[in-house]
Amino acid sequence: MTKDILSSNFFELFDLPVSYAVDLQKAQQQYMELQKQVHPDKFANASDQEKRLSMQQTSWINEAFTTLKDDVLRATYLLKLKGTDINLENETTMDAVFLMQQLEMRERLENIKQESDPLDVLDSMAKEIKLMATEMMQGFADCYASEQTEQAREWIRKLQFMQKAKKEINLRTAELEDELMS
Amino acid sequence: MALIQIAEPGQSTTAHQHKLAVGIDLGTTNSLVATVRSGDVATLADDDGQHLLPSIVHYGEKGIDVGLSAQQHSVSDPFNTIVSAKRFMGRGKEDIAAEDSHYAYEFAETDSVVPRFKTRAGNVSAVEVSAEILKALKKRAVDTLGDELNGAVITVPAYFDDAQRQATKDAAKLADINVLRLLNEPTAAAVAYGLDTGNEGVIAVYDLGGGTFDVSILRLNKGVFEVLATGGDSSLGGDDFDYEIAQWVISQAKLTNLDSPAIKRLIMQQARSAKEALATEESIEIKLDIDDCQWLGTLTRDTLKELLTPLVKKTLMSCRRALRDADVDKEAINEVVMVGGSTRTLLVRELVAEFFECELLTSIDPDKVVATGAALQADVLVGNKPDDEMLLLDVIPLSLGIETMGGLVEKIIHRNTGIPAAKAQDFTTYKDGQTAMAIHVLQGERELVSDSRSLARFELRGFPPQVAGAARIRVTFQVDADGLLIVSAREENSGVEASVDVKPSYGLEDAEIESMLRASMDHAEEDMHIRSLREQQVEAERVIEALDSALAKDADELLSAEEKTEIMNARQALVDIKSGSSVDEIEQTIKKLEATCENYIARRMNSNIKIAMQGHSIEEYSSDIKSEAEES
Repeated sequence: MTKDILSSNFFELFDLPVSYAVDLQKAQQQYMELQKQVHPDKFANASDQEKRLSMQQTSWINEAFTTLKDDVLRATYLLKLKGTDINLENETTMDAVFLMQQLEMRERLENIKQESDPLDVLDSMAKEIKLMATEMMQGFADCYASEQTEQAREWIRKLQFMQKAKKEINLRTAELEDELMS
Repeated sequence: MALIQIAEPGQSTTAHQHKLAVGIDLGTTNSLVATVRSGDVATLADDDGQHLLPSIVHYGEKGIDVGLSAQQHSVSDPFNTIVSAKRFMGRGKEDIAAEDSHYAYEFAETDSVVPRFKTRAGNVSAVEVSAEILKALKKRAVDTLGDELNGAVITVPAYFDDAQRQATKDAAKLADINVLRLLNEPTAAAVAYGLDTGNEGVIAVYDLGGGTFDVSILRLNKGVFEVLATGGDSSLGGDDFDYEIAQWVISQAKLTNLDSPAIKRLIMQQARSAKEALATEESIEIKLDIDDCQWLGTLTRDTLKELLTPLVKKTLMSCRRALRDADVDKEAINEVVMVGGSTRTLLVRELVAEFFECELLTSIDPDKVVATGAALQADVLVGNKPDDEMLLLDVIPLSLGIETMGGLVEKIIHRNTGIPAAKAQDFTTYKDGQTAMAIHVLQGERELVSDSRSLARFELRGFPPQVAGAARIRVTFQVDADGLLIVSAREENSGVEASVDVKPSYGLEDAEIESMLRASMDHAEEDMHIRSLREQQVEAERVIEALDSALAKDADELLSAEEKTEIMNARQALVDIKSGSSVDEIEQTIKKLEATCENYIARRMNSNIKIAMQGHSIEEYSSDIKSEAEES
């Protein structure tokens, strides 16, 4: 019997162990396999009822894949499975030193055009962010494994800042590149 | 779940019963229809051997003309000859101000938010004009193939928003065409190339049509086409090239009297011819002979380059953004599929090749490639190729969200999310005793409501009054495989179904949309029930089957006659109830049966373990292991 897609958790669905480290290549393969079974294109001639079920199942698989691929969403989901709901919109870290760092980075981004080689600066900032994010992910993984929920939660809050910063840097880079092109 | 995957015996062997399905490329400038016949895909020609049908509709004295015959009236009878109707699909009146500077249209004064062209056949919307084009293509297919049409895949620019997609589907409905799928044009093009070459890797599709530009980044893997990101500009295309050239002609010829739509059209047509000629010639002469103005000029490739480079660069910016969204480096792109008539312009090829630094695929006619891909998918969807491995995984091009306090947009489904996609968001009331809530659905990437496209307004009414913040209103966004949005809403605490009212959208009339939405909400309810009922029934069947096979093995050894009767009674109760329609009753009866069997199950497990342990030596186990190892 095929497993019930809508009542499986995302890790079960992708045949992965419930842990923060995920084998993305395996997830990608499993994603393709699942899609081949349930995608609406396989039910184009089916009854409306089956079409709708296929749509619901594919939506669930897509959400699962998105969650597993995203470092913050995956962490949040792991805590949710353990009964801790996190509303990222309403939570923020209170770590003053960290917040100050973020503020400085933001200011630097806003004044990026004053740098002599802004694209170069953006590039090194992106690298720095990536390094910090890697550390935070390790921090989360450790706390999650040792059931230090509050600590784990704090890592997610910080990791979220890294994601936003990365997005911001990408945006600025795009703007600068567009300006250079036209 | 398992139920829907079991094909009826013999059902999949009806392969010889070939169904007629077509792919339709409903373009801004030209439209095409293609189909798969005895394994070969081809676009269909009209009686004169023409494959391209100009997307032009003429509302004449004697009736409606579509295509070339309509084009003849473009200059002499401009207001009754609608060109580029696709640009107005799913657009509101406020969108058209920028558009009508390009072309001559006369819009009717109506109360509707949907702009309507004033013609001698009455006020017609872009949806109706498109329906005429679709009817012409449908007729061509039916006449050529001599069979009824089972269904069609219709392509849309990847960058089309919900309103534009919905409008396209409405046009198909008016033309009485069963839409198997709305397919994104770049994805269709990738299919056309991918199946020929058995490609693997990451590719880009650069699709510059008459009125729209699309770019998609796709990963190809064993017949699966996974769109990683898509981007573009839904109002940039070859028409804009023509417009730039026309502006150049106007300034060179020092034309001043431009009020006449006939003259505008004439210059646009000359601009297009000049552009097309420059694909093979180094320079071209343009001759104007209008009442008070005679002018002869030469347009060179260099001048063309100057005029068009800013526009082409705009498309390249979209390419860069798509690459970034896909998280793919430019170097990772193996090939670029070139689609759309405007990619014939040499400057476009030159700049795209320079940007991606890789080979451009141009072997399939850029005008036909989209229809070709659509026909291939239509053939699969209609069931002509049951064993085909091809699968298209597409994404939503623009984020969907809801208006929140202060005129801001809260995104619920982000762009480039794989579709179908569903996401629920909870909202609450902000006043004591509130029994209604307004919900405004928006699409786009901007933060402000005023910068986003308004798709629909809902009013959720009739939930019981509660303290502020206590109500839990769950709004669910469901995007289907066509990229179309279905919104449903319910108040969770009371479970009371609230009604949904939809305010103006583009395309259909309010009442029609409202009834459609109601229907989908009712269905969702119904579905939930049917699904859980089926699940319980399957579960009941599974339990009975497992019990029967167990009883057959060891009932006599492990059960007293009394116990057996008790179990059989509980079993019969489940058999009786499982075909009913109460989910709860079935569930309860399963539980009862399981409870009745508890002792029996325990005894079976014990006895199994005992049997497993009895009469076997360690050596036997290890020899088993050994022989297995040898076999493998």
